[in-house]
Amino acid sequence: MYVLWRIVVKEFLQLEQDRRMIPVIFVAPVLQLVIFGFAVNTDVSHVPIVLVDQDRTAASRELVDRFTSSSYFELVGTEASVSAIDGWLVAGRAQAALVIEAGYGAGGADGRASRVQLVVDGSDAGPATVALGYGAAVVAAAGNDRLARSLRAAGGEAGVDPAAPPRAGRTELAPRVWYNPDLLSRWFYVPAVLAMILMIMTMLLSAMAVVREKEIGTMEQIMVTPIRSWQLIAGKLLPFAAIGLVQVFLVTGVAVFGFGVPLRGSFLLLLLLTQLFVLNTLGLGLLVSTVVRTQQQAMMTAAFTMMLPMVYLSGLIFPIENMPPAIQYVTYAIPLRYYADIIRGIFLRGSGLDVLWPQALTLAVMGLAILAVASLRFRKRLD
Amino acid sequence: MKKIAAVAVKELRQIVRDPLSLLMLLGLPAFMLVLYGFALNFDVRHVALAVQDRDHTAASRDLVSAFVNSTYFDLAATPAPGADLERLLERGRARGVLVIPEDYGRRLAAGETAPVQLLLDGADANTATTVLGYAGALVAEANTEELRRTVVRATGRDLPSPIEYRPYVWFNPELSTTQFLVPGLMGVLLMLTAVLATALSVVREKERGTMEQLRVAPLRTAELILGKTLPYLVISLAAAVIILVAARLLFAVEVKGSYLALLAATLLYLVGALGLGILISTLADSQALAFQGGLLVSLLPAVLLSGFIFQIRTMPAALQLVTHAVPARYYLVILRGVILKGTGLGPYWDQMGALALFALATLALASLRLVRHEG
Amino acid sequence: MAAAVELASLTKRFGAFTAVDRVSLVVEEGEVFGFLGANGAGKSTTIRMICGLLAPTAGTARVLGVDVARDPEEVKRRIGYMSQRFSLYEDLPVRQNLRFFGGVYGLRGRALAEREEWAIEMAGLRGKEDVLARLLAGGWKQRLALACAILHRPRVVFLDEPTSGVDPLSRRRFWSLIDSMSAEGVTVFVTTHYLEEAEHCHRLAMIHAGRLVALGTVAEMKSVFARQAVLEVRVPRVAEALDLLAGQPFVREVSAFGTRLHVTVDDEEEGRRRVLDLLERSGDVPAHAERIVPSLEDVFIHYVEAEEARGTPEAVRQ
Repeated sequence: MYVLWRIVVKEFLQLEQDRRMIPVIFVAPVLQLVIFGFAVNTDVSHVPIVLVDQDRTAASRELVDRFTSSSYFELVGTEASVSAIDGWLVAGRAQAALVIEAGYGAGGADGRASRVQLVVDGSDAGPATVALGYGAAVVAAAGNDRLARSLRAAGGEAGVDPAAPPRAGRTELAPRVWYNPDLLSRWFYVPAVLAMILMIMTMLLSAMAVVREKEIGTMEQIMVTPIRSWQLIAGKLLPFAAIGLVQVFLVTGVAVFGFGVPLRGSFLLLLLLTQLFVLNTLGLGLLVSTVVRTQQQAMMTAAFTMMLPMVYLSGLIFPIENMPPAIQYVTYAIPLRYYADIIRGIFLRGSGLDVLWPQALTLAVMGLAILAVASLRFRKRLD
Repeated sequence: MKKIAAVAVKELRQIVRDPLSLLMLLGLPAFMLVLYGFALNFDVRHVALAVQDRDHTAASRDLVSAFVNSTYFDLAATPAPGADLERLLERGRARGVLVIPEDYGRRLAAGETAPVQLLLDGADANTATTVLGYAGALVAEANTEELRRTVVRATGRDLPSPIEYRPYVWFNPELSTTQFLVPGLMGVLLMLTAVLATALSVVREKERGTMEQLRVAPLRTAELILGKTLPYLVISLAAAVIILVAARLLFAVEVKGSYLALLAATLLYLVGALGLGILISTLADSQALAFQGGLLVSLLPAVLLSGFIFQIRTMPAALQLVTHAVPARYYLVILRGVILKGTGLGPYWDQMGALALFALATLALASLRLVRHEG
Repeated sequence: MAAAVELASLTKRFGAFTAVDRVSLVVEEGEVFGFLGANGAGKSTTIRMICGLLAPTAGTARVLGVDVARDPEEVKRRIGYMSQRFSLYEDLPVRQNLRFFGGVYGLRGRALAEREEWAIEMAGLRGKEDVLARLLAGGWKQRLALACAILHRPRVVFLDEPTSGVDPLSRRRFWSLIDSMSAEGVTVFVTTHYLEEAEHCHRLAMIHAGRLVALGTVAEMKSVFARQAVLEVRVPRVAEALDLLAGQPFVREVSAFGTRLHVTVDDEEEGRRRVLDLLERSGDVPAHAERIVPSLEDVFIHYVEAEEARGTPEAVRQ
């Protein structure tokens, strides 16, 4: 145990010496969180639209009102002819164009259909999809109102009892959103940043710390001592687990008090399950260090073959349900997937271990397996 | 020129000797494209939906089948009345629960408003927003049908759908994610590889002490910078080509505009990125620091603050100001124009100007720092 | 009693390249044993195999009777090792380096504190305990590295090129440390390519291209020149003279040392006459040609040339 302690002390002393790493470890996470918290917002609103109203009737103005009164669209200009919208969309000044064709107001009275076009710039597929959907909803609502009016008008016709005009039943959708009633995308992303920071720091730092000793030659010096492999591994990894723990406090604090993300579950459980996740990231970091020779290779390998795929395929940012089935199977092999479930469960849903135990168990098993493989590869040998 | 060539050749030799890093520089783009292409998909479909139909009438069954047949929703469970619906959401068995109350059919027949409840898991706000949109559209459609049926019943004649809605999607008609990904990804990856590769290569020379050797040699700062960055410029351009080829082969994304315009914008962008890499290398003296710093100033802004995935419009004003200093923001606008919209550089002079300004600023700052170190 | 180090046909191959080729030798306890060779001759590879850092391809290495391949950890407990680069934590102060390595070797409490003090005294680092290792000059660094390697009182100490890159004064001081360790009965196995340092060693092994070419005391080695004479020839145009003499059948060996040539001949008088004769005829007027006591360098060159003459094609070794 004393041997272990000496290694831990040494790691911390070295960290203290490397003063420039301290901001990287403690300030960068908060900075990242702040940028993420503010920048990452996929709430689609105020899509800039340009209007071409060829009808110019009360009805067409009413439709425009329907568009602009929703917070989804914002009118940024009007044009007289359809050919002019090209310039707006190409330069990106507008993301959609609403074209109300002549005869819209006549409402089919003259046998022509009322036609509305919504031209959307598809080069940014996200908002385009949402704009199309909401555009359809706005137009459908306008159409239903018109139908209802015709129905009332039909009530005056012969053969209909004026005392009981025909009324159509109407289904009303009463949505109730749990866990995030205002559908703030920030609540989705901020806990994700916690997972990302934790992964990057623990995996990268542990991989580099081991490789650095290889590079400067001290690893060779340690290898000729009677220290046991597990003591060396544990001693090198424990400080990073501790740093990870501190970062959880830091990031959770900023998330809860800075961004108002609710922490509905138990913080203690979060800390506990985080350790299971850190087991995985430290193990992967160690694994990387057994494969590479230089710090640069360690960074590149860790960042690009481990961290990036893990972030993208874990459901942390992009939902797993939307991926092709073959890729969905791959995601089961990614520890971050389970941790993503855990942090969202604890932060937003207030879940306890009774719900999260399968994820916790999987993380524990995977973590031990990864560490075992890494330790086996990590021998006290140079060849 | 000869001196620049000498530095450049040395740099290239070192790059080629390190096949792992070279593979990273060139293979990464294609890898990321595939990763993003599969992971990033705004087309939310097959959402797991639980349905609790307490009404069991023809009307309620119509509504349920309208949901399930839409391909947006998959029927995941039919909980009995009194079941713990929250558990269903918490355990992730379903994203939403549609609850149809007992009197739904009766109210609809009586011409009244019949509420149905949709319980949604809002933890993933994006999916929830999209699902909410789908559900609204499905219910609106059901209402239209009900209205028309009533009109037919009352008057004996059918009313046509009163408003014809014609959505058109320009530039990317299928709204395929990969189409819009390619420009964004080029912006991110070129920035990443160019900044990191140059920063690390300079810092490595510092660490090994060979930088001192180079400084003693009769090389001017400009020659040193040019010699060190040229190879990475070439490699980054190769990475750009790889992205384009991979995008075309894997996802059928084609460049609609001119390659010359693409090259011009890319070169300008890369010069700025390389300048940034050198600037970082003058500030960091360990590879670890250079790497962390490089990631922080290249990857993070290019992904988060460029409008690649997250729209600049929806950011707070202060952050929107910050995005003006992110070169990827301008490059992205140009690329989307050239690749997807098929335009030339004509409409994008402001963006080109901004890129040029950025390149000048980083190169000037980097040279200043290098010169100061010499003095 | 078992020997301190016992190598039997120790071999290490990296792919097609043989770094160490069937090396066998015995080092007795308490000896200062010098392991000589040029850079890349296989010295470090040999030492790393003995310390359990590399697995031998063939052959065995025993330290204090323990087979390294069987029980490397037991060996590690009994030895001290100082690698080629002084592998210290440059970002830690002197005392923390000592404390760390002491801890790793299982020292603690009072024993550790005592050894720390001893090491600081031994390395002459009193007053510099809290200085970062990075800031120490080469000689101090070297002594700190040695201190770290012997904190746990190992019975055998391996030093891999301990004096490379250190000023001559520090080098001398370092060798006196080695002498005092030896006086306490510690076996010192030291590699070097400074031939003059080898004179400090009780016994020497010379290694060339992975093969052991000579083994014995310094005196024994020099005795190969007993029946031959080494002449030191001062000559203005060294390169031309070297070429000229190298082709002569009566010249056993010839090598350049700065502005002088060392020429090995069978008979001193006849050799001197023929050398001067030859050089005069070619237009060079040598000022000097006198017999000298052969240095280790001469010995080394003698063995290397003998080995090469035995016909190991150059290409195989590359």
